[in-house]
Amino acid sequence: MLHINGLTVTFGGLVAVSDVTFDMREGEVLGLVGPNGAGKTTLFNAICGLARPGSGTVELMGKNLLSMPIHHRARAGIGRAFQVPQPMHELTVRENLTVAQRFGAGKVDKAKIEELLDVLKLGHKADMDAATSLALTEQKALEVGKALATEPKLLMLDEVLAGLETTGKRAFLDTLEEVRKRYRLSVMIVEHDIETITRMCPRVLVLNFGRLIADGSPDQVFNDPEVIRSYTGGEPA
Amino acid sequence: MNKLKIPAVLVLAYLVLPLAVNGNDYVVSLIVAALTIGGIALAWSMLGNLGGMVSFGHAAFFGIGSYASALLTIKAGWPVLVSMLFAGLVAAASSIATMPALRLRGPYFALSILAYAEIFRIIATEWKGLTGGAAGILSIPRLPEIMGIDLGGKIGGYFVVVTLVIAMVGIYAVIRRSPQGLALKAMHDSEDATRVVGVNATMLKALMLVVSAFFAGLMGAFNAHYINFLEPDYAFSGSWTTLAIVAAIFGGYRTLWGPLIGALVVYLVDQLVFKAILPQGHQIILGALLGAMVLFSPTGLTPLIAKLTRLQRKETANAAH
Ligand SMILES: Nc1ncnc2c1ncn2[C@@H]1O[C@H](COP(=O)(O)OP(=O)(O)OP(=O)(O)O)[C@@H](O)[C@H]1O
Ligand SMILES: [Mg+2]
Repeated sequence: MLHINGLTVTFGGLVAVSDVTFDMREGEVLGLVGPNGAGKTTLFNAICGLARPGSGTVELMGKNLLSMPIHHRARAGIGRAFQVPQPMHELTVRENLTVAQRFGAGKVDKAKIEELLDVLKLGHKADMDAATSLALTEQKALEVGKALATEPKLLMLDEVLAGLETTGKRAFLDTLEEVRKRYRLSVMIVEHDIETITRMCPRVLVLNFGRLIADGSPDQVFNDPEVIRSYTGGEPA
Repeated sequence: MNKLKIPAVLVLAYLVLPLAVNGNDYVVSLIVAALTIGGIALAWSMLGNLGGMVSFGHAAFFGIGSYASALLTIKAGWPVLVSMLFAGLVAAASSIATMPALRLRGPYFALSILAYAEIFRIIATEWKGLTGGAAGILSIPRLPEIMGIDLGGKIGGYFVVVTLVIAMVGIYAVIRRSPQGLALKAMHDSEDATRVVGVNATMLKALMLVVSAFFAGLMGAFNAHYINFLEPDYAFSGSWTTLAIVAAIFGGYRTLWGPLIGALVVYLVDQLVFKAILPQGHQIILGALLGAMVLFSPTGLTPLIAKLTRLQRKETANAAH
């Protein structure tokens, strides 16, 4: 469903994403790992339109994403949760979901909003200010909720589990698994915790200095010498 | 409490105030002028608050609305109230000409829309065949008589303008609560987050400009039929914009009622009090007051009053214990 070919993003002289090529099947859960600054967030930005690639192509279900303005990509099926939660300021939790639904899915369906509030355990905070009254877990849940409200085909989660303590993390993982099944999503998830990635993702991509250095099962990938070297701080060969 | 607010405003607007000032034509005409400015202030605030755009050029839409309605009644013989609505649409359509300016941010937008206002004023002056040029248009038809009430008179004009501005507040309230209004509000501080969920901010801002121009044009049309004459320097006068901005900022341009309250307070106090103290240059006091307001309560008068009453309520509650 997602085809990425030769994707390159540069910032001045820095190549943040370098000639990345991979395909993703419908319903797949894909882990994306790599050291800090490897280009994971930038890859997400290029897909959803916040970064402009210098070259390469991105196709979602036959549609060329790169020719679309950002606001069309949500309609095309891209749902994005930010690494640093970005609630829409001055809006309540419910209003955040409503705006995402109205513009990202092109409809108003109050029952669906209530369902999301319920699944994400945000019901008790529904009418509170999203930017100021949420705990970290709730901020992360709203991040996922905004993406889900746009009714995506591909859900891109950027470190939504980072910073949560063990029980919170486990509960949130269960929630993610539930929404993935319920809404039949393809998921791309950035996560530093190898154990979590191994549990969640049958397939893992590894980025280092913008380059895709491994693509395979968690077992294969985490035993790959180049991947191990990249994590112990070595320059790419 | 909030349930009582709307009936209270209506009783005040349609009963108490007219009864209190009826017969005093001078005060009535001051209130009508204040509400006219309040209407422009509201239109300006819609664009400023939701669109995040500061316009120095709303006199353009006001002037176009004035001329459009005057000409439709005089040259085409249309009924006044129909012309007024259509004049709003003409002003809205004219705002499309200013849309390239929407790509500009902050002061650049503000200044370029000022240039548009100047262009429209020049057109009104030079297109003598249509507008009568600098000499202006005289004997613009009065507002009609409806159900025995002469809307063309002073108090009739008051009823028309108060109805217009209250309707505007109602429509503004609906816009603010709509997904479009919420999305625009969110754009201020969360641009990326808002865009990735599918919001086309440029389009929504353009829509707000159209709506805002419609209402400014409608106020211009009302004013033309209320005072019955027009000339370019008057209809396109920059003071329609500056007075509205002062009123909006003073009253609180991000609130629903702030622009109207601001206009009433600013204009009436200026005309009735400051003018008496300082017949020449009384605007200075206004300027100083606005400065103080921006310093001490940057969000304006209405939020300040809300804060004070909340404090008071808390104190009364504490005293009761
Ligand atoms: N807007 C930008 N302008 C300039 N450089 C940028 C920009 N965004 C990212 N970079 C740089 O691109 C590189 C990749 O950054 P990116 O945020 O994609 O990494 P990441 O893999 O998400 O890292 P982390 O695990 O820390 O989140 C880094 O060197 C970063 O400094
Ligand atoms: Mg990142």
